[in-house]
Amino acid sequence: MKKIYALILLVAATVFVSCESELNVEPAQSISQDAALATEANILNILIGTYDEAGQAATFGGRTHLIADLLGSTNEIAWTGTFLDPRQFFTKSILVDNGFVAGHWANSYEVINQANLVIDNVAKITSSTANRDKAEGEAKFLRALTYFDLVRLFADPYVAGGANAQLGVPLHLKGILDYGGNLDIARSTVAEVYTQILSDLTDAVAKLPATNEFFADRFSARALQARVYFQQGNYAAARDAANDVITNSGHALTSTYAGAFNNNADSSEDIFAFQVTAQTGTNQMITFYASQANGGRGGDVGVRAGYTALFDTPATDVRATFTYVSPDNGENLTSKYTNQFGNVPVIRFAEMHLIRAESNFRMSTTTGLAPLVEINALRARSGAPALAGPLTLNLLFNERRLELGFEGHLLHDYKRTQRSVGTTAYNAGNLVLPIPQAEMDTNSLMVQNTFYR
Amino acid sequence: MKVRLLLIMVFFMGVSIFAQQKTVTGTVTSDSDPLPGVSVTIKGTTTGTETDFDGKYSIQANVGDVLVFSYLGYKTVEMTVAQSNTIDVSLEEGNNVLDEVIIVGFGTQSKRKLTDNVAKINAADISNIPNPSVLNNIAGKATGVQITQTNGKVEAGLNIRVRGQASISAGTQPLYVLDGIPLINNNESSNGSPTNPLLTLSPNEIESIDILKDASSAAIYGSRGANGVVIITTKKGKEGKAKFNINLSNGFSDRANSRDWLNAAQYVELFLEAGARSPFGNLTGFVQGRFDRYSNNTDWRNAAVDTNWEDLALRKGYTRDVDFSMSGGNSKTTYFFSAAYNDTKGIVRGNQLERISARTNVQHKLTDKFTAGMSVNFSRVDIDRIANDNAFVTPLQAIAQAPISPAYDATGEPFTGTVYANFLLQDKHANYNTIIRRVNGRMYGKYEIIDGLTFNSDFGYDLYTQSEDSFTGRLAPFQSTNGQAFASDVATESFNFSNYFNYDVKFGDDHDLNVVAGTEFNKSKRRRTSVTGTQFPTDDFQTINSAAQITAGTGSFTEFAFVSYFGRATYSFKNKYLFKASVRRDGSSRFGKAVQFGTFTAFSGGWILSEEDFLADNETLTFAKLRASYGTVGNAEIGNFASRGLFGGVSYNQRPGIAPTQPENQQLSWESSTQTDIGFEFGLWNRITGELAYYIKDTDDLIFASPLPPTSGAASINRNIGRIRSKGIEFAFQSKNIVSDDFTWNTNFNIGQNDNEVVRLPGGNDVIGGRNILRQGEVANAFYLIEYAGVDPANGNALYNLNNGTGGTTTDPNAAQRIIVGNPFPEWVGGLTNTFNYKDFDFSFTFQGEFGASIYNSAGRFQSANADWFDNQSADQLRRWQNPGDITDVPEARLAGGNGTAHSTRYLEKGDFVRLRNITLGYTLPKDVLDKAGFSNVRIYMSGFNLLTFTGFTGYDPESRSDAGGIGQVFYSAPAAKTISMGVNLSF
Repeated sequence: MKKIYALILLVAATVFVSCESELNVEPAQSISQDAALATEANILNILIGTYDEAGQAATFGGRTHLIADLLGSTNEIAWTGTFLDPRQFFTKSILVDNGFVAGHWANSYEVINQANLVIDNVAKITSSTANRDKAEGEAKFLRALTYFDLVRLFADPYVAGGANAQLGVPLHLKGILDYGGNLDIARSTVAEVYTQILSDLTDAVAKLPATNEFFADRFSARALQARVYFQQGNYAAARDAANDVITNSGHALTSTYAGAFNNNADSSEDIFAFQVTAQTGTNQMITFYASQANGGRGGDVGVRAGYTALFDTPATDVRATFTYVSPDNGENLTSKYTNQFGNVPVIRFAEMHLIRAESNFRMSTTTGLAPLVEINALRARSGAPALAGPLTLNLLFNERRLELGFEGHLLHDYKRTQRSVGTTAYNAGNLVLPIPQAEMDTNSLMVQNTFYR
Repeated sequence: MKVRLLLIMVFFMGVSIFAQQKTVTGTVTSDSDPLPGVSVTIKGTTTGTETDFDGKYSIQANVGDVLVFSYLGYKTVEMTVAQSNTIDVSLEEGNNVLDEVIIVGFGTQSKRKLTDNVAKINAADISNIPNPSVLNNIAGKATGVQITQTNGKVEAGLNIRVRGQASISAGTQPLYVLDGIPLINNNESSNGSPTNPLLTLSPNEIESIDILKDASSAAIYGSRGANGVVIITTKKGKEGKAKFNINLSNGFSDRANSRDWLNAAQYVELFLEAGARSPFGNLTGFVQGRFDRYSNNTDWRNAAVDTNWEDLALRKGYTRDVDFSMSGGNSKTTYFFSAAYNDTKGIVRGNQLERISARTNVQHKLTDKFTAGMSVNFSRVDIDRIANDNAFVTPLQAIAQAPISPAYDATGEPFTGTVYANFLLQDKHANYNTIIRRVNGRMYGKYEIIDGLTFNSDFGYDLYTQSEDSFTGRLAPFQSTNGQAFASDVATESFNFSNYFNYDVKFGDDHDLNVVAGTEFNKSKRRRTSVTGTQFPTDDFQTINSAAQITAGTGSFTEFAFVSYFGRATYSFKNKYLFKASVRRDGSSRFGKAVQFGTFTAFSGGWILSEEDFLADNETLTFAKLRASYGTVGNAEIGNFASRGLFGGVSYNQRPGIAPTQPENQQLSWESSTQTDIGFEFGLWNRITGELAYYIKDTDDLIFASPLPPTSGAASINRNIGRIRSKGIEFAFQSKNIVSDDFTWNTNFNIGQNDNEVVRLPGGNDVIGGRNILRQGEVANAFYLIEYAGVDPANGNALYNLNNGTGGTTTDPNAAQRIIVGNPFPEWVGGLTNTFNYKDFDFSFTFQGEFGASIYNSAGRFQSANADWFDNQSADQLRRWQNPGDITDVPEARLAGGNGTAHSTRYLEKGDFVRLRNITLGYTLPKDVLDKAGFSNVRIYMSGFNLLTFTGFTGYDPESRSDAGGIGQVFYSAPAAKTISMGVNLSF
């Protein structure tokens, strides 16, 4: 009998002594926060992750463009799809629980946090100063890009020459790792946000190399600078930044208008684009602007007569007919988005021409080119006859609509030039997105935009 | 042979002694009629047999052994084997319920002496119901247990809530233990709509299901017991000649409910009106253009096409069951073999399930002291699946299509010009198949060291594998890549090794003690891979092999381990004072090192009043017991690495990167649930037994994915955030209303009430997630919505209550304040079963009811939106406001006007219902006919499932919920099936 007890005890003991060590299990698909921030390689990995985050559907994968297009349009395009959230943009009656708004906001701050983590830990990049500067410049570019669209969409418009003390968006400039503490944060003013964006871009321009594969380079930052100055009505600075890009970046207009779109790899015209392949990235412009055969939902956003009517020579201007009829719903769709796995352009070379031309016009200068010559050169690519002149602000505004339609610019141009969107005043509260309900529910310092209170 | 046997014995346990046995025979009678099927077992062993048709039995026993004679509905009798080789017994009808054996985890106990709260379901309660999900068939039969199948898809996920909601975002599902092995219960679906992993179980192999509800019973499962424990026991063979059982049944099913949608004429009328009244000008021309397209240019003005899309999405299904089992044994070896086949064609188009399963349970007594056995089960479930509720191509979203759209065009192909993608294209050109292959088994040995002291060793293994293969062809909606295929494989395995001593001892006449002490080790590993490919030569090629481009792939691995030590002592004094204490110490890899171990204890006591002198001869109160228990159990269902700050791999343009995936919370610790349970059990006139229980269940350190400000860059963090309390009463009784020679009528009734309250949150702050809120003093996850105030009679505007204290209303949903408006879970769940036997006929039915839950239809803003866009509308939208002065609750129809379409209480409804869950009528062939045919039993039956539903809920089904997320929400969720089947049970 004793033998049995001994045997049983032996078995039990052996099994259980060895078992407790089995409790040490490590995840296989993840690494710890500490490891993620420990090495140069991982800081650079976080930077790649930041691009991926920024290229997601909710923001630069396409919805940043979509929201601005729908909010900024009345009769040029129409939302004819069944989704309620985008329809609220088009009808300019947005509810505070709008899912696209919540997604845009949350995704933007994910990008910002990841960019912040790179910036906070940039000292761990020790292989070379050039590598360290490049990473810091890219992270600051992505942060500036993201804050710029946040402040344009979620805050009242920037007023050129004004104090711009109106509420902007919260400025997180340090990466968050400790989520145990108080994370409440108040909105900075519009002026503070623009100051931060320009500060980041100044650093980015200084630290980025002139070329950097498909990642952000010095001229991506310079081009974004041009866009920010332009939005601020700082036309001299906008002109000079655009001129720098046009003169020195090595980018050029593609030979055809069509060549600027649906590219699997950046074209000569892409100063910065989010990269999409069949395996990574997403192109939400396709989702909402394309037919099912082209990978979309059939064409929720149709191009309407109001847009075609903007063309002075629709017969010869290829931009007027750069459309096709959706076999799914009969809508006229833009041909800018027909490659399901094409990149999503963010800054195109043509925009630099338009910024330089308008800025020159406003400043009565001819830096680089005379405005009318520059506009006509751009028109010539698309087969539009040269304008006889003289140029007017209205003509320049119209030219932006013709060239940059469906690329998320229109709303911001209305606001910059203080034009009404249809019958809605440029500074109307319903042309600003609501702070998402999820943020209002979790951040006690957050203040809702007046229109949505 | 003998040498080998000896070697085995030596190897395992050393030498033991053979005892002297003899054959005891006898006859069991009741009122001098022979009683067949009476169980005859030797007390304290698993040796047993059954009486034959003439009430005769024969068993090998030793002098001094106690034979236990038990039979459903009769008092159990114990007889000690003496010198005589014949023992005749007469059984009296009695309170069988009290002598029912309750499986309590690492042991059993009689209902009479139980001091815990356990709900027991027997095989008879769940067999012959035409529904493939066994556990779903418990609904209405276990007190305080809410069982809900997500929706009418055959493989739909199952939610079991024991005594309300104990957790918020940690798992809320109970632990399932099959013959001692914790079952893998992961939903492994890749298409967003959960599958029920327990579909692999077949009803014909299940003997009983015991649901451990209170802390005292569940404490033996420690950190895994907070949501209750469901113990499933499979059938075993019994000593006696081989017995064959065959069950064949065939049934037909249909949707349990239909809804009224606009027909073509009504649709045209309503949308023309909406177009004319759009805030964006008169859109009549636009609407007519749309009608031309939607109708495929048919004459929509005269309703040339009037398609009922619901009838295309839902269909008539069938269900077919073929079960076979064979069992028997001799004094040394018992066996049970079973095989079952189920084929269910779902009521939703494209949805089908086929299951085969088989089981072997064999047990052999090597010596008097050493018994060993093995159980093996394999099961294969092949499911044709459809997309989740939130996919455009899921069949039931077809109810959103315009009735003026033809389903098919002139060529017979599905029409492509519909408002939404036509699901018939998906049905025709795409497929999604899931096959679950599961093997589990257990090898066990039991050695009696000294009298009453046994050592048990159980090794169990569960392997759950699932493969998914889907192909979407060129002509399916949204297909732009020349076809797409997806294939996934997942395998989860779980090892479970438990070793424990069980000591039964009696001191003198008055003291009964049982002690269980042991250890358990459980380790589970999961590996999943998947691949997605596009660009196929033609639709004839559907496997990844032929994909020209591979667009996505995954491969992941995860595991967890539990190491546990447990003990339990049960003591009764004079068979009337009962005490029990349990303890379990669990270590889990899921928690941070500092808090890796947790200890869970529970105590309970009982007093059988009816054993006291003052009640001993009471003719009315024939049984009375008071019991109380108190204990703590844990919840470890929080994912494998919930406390850690993690970064995972991502990629950008084929460059690798990393990104944060989970914020760190090193303080994350166990969620523990403390439960107090007080119960009173009674028996009246030996006819009625019942039970009244009251419980308070406090869950502390609730683990919750607490929402963070999105500006922080993370959506949520796992936190221990506070306390919720569930308290309630439960009442159940079983009554033999009429017992006579030809006619019996039994009633079982149960009802459970549950009050749920969030007691404490950090800082007292609300936690709002989507349309649900946690607020101190309110039910957990209460609906939190703005309040719809109806329609302004003057202008047809939808109004919302401001709820800002002014009592005013607004047309701007953004201006209205949200308020708490309902509980997503029922407060009362109950069931009523009546069983009648008249001569050779048997008839039974079960009603099931749930009360107090609200249901939010998140598709209401599309379905019942007074023609806001071109979705077909529920018929009630015809009562829209049209002219000043109209009093109605449906606002003016305005195309794209968003008039009343905000998420609000407009789409919230009460979900109370009573349902005729099942009904069965059977006829057993008379004995003389059977004898001639050589059968021991032939029963023909008709069985119905969900035949009637009484509810005020206007949606499809008060039991259905969205399988695409949201608490208490429906979203194009398929109704349950109602099924009627005919079958036959054969035994010989």
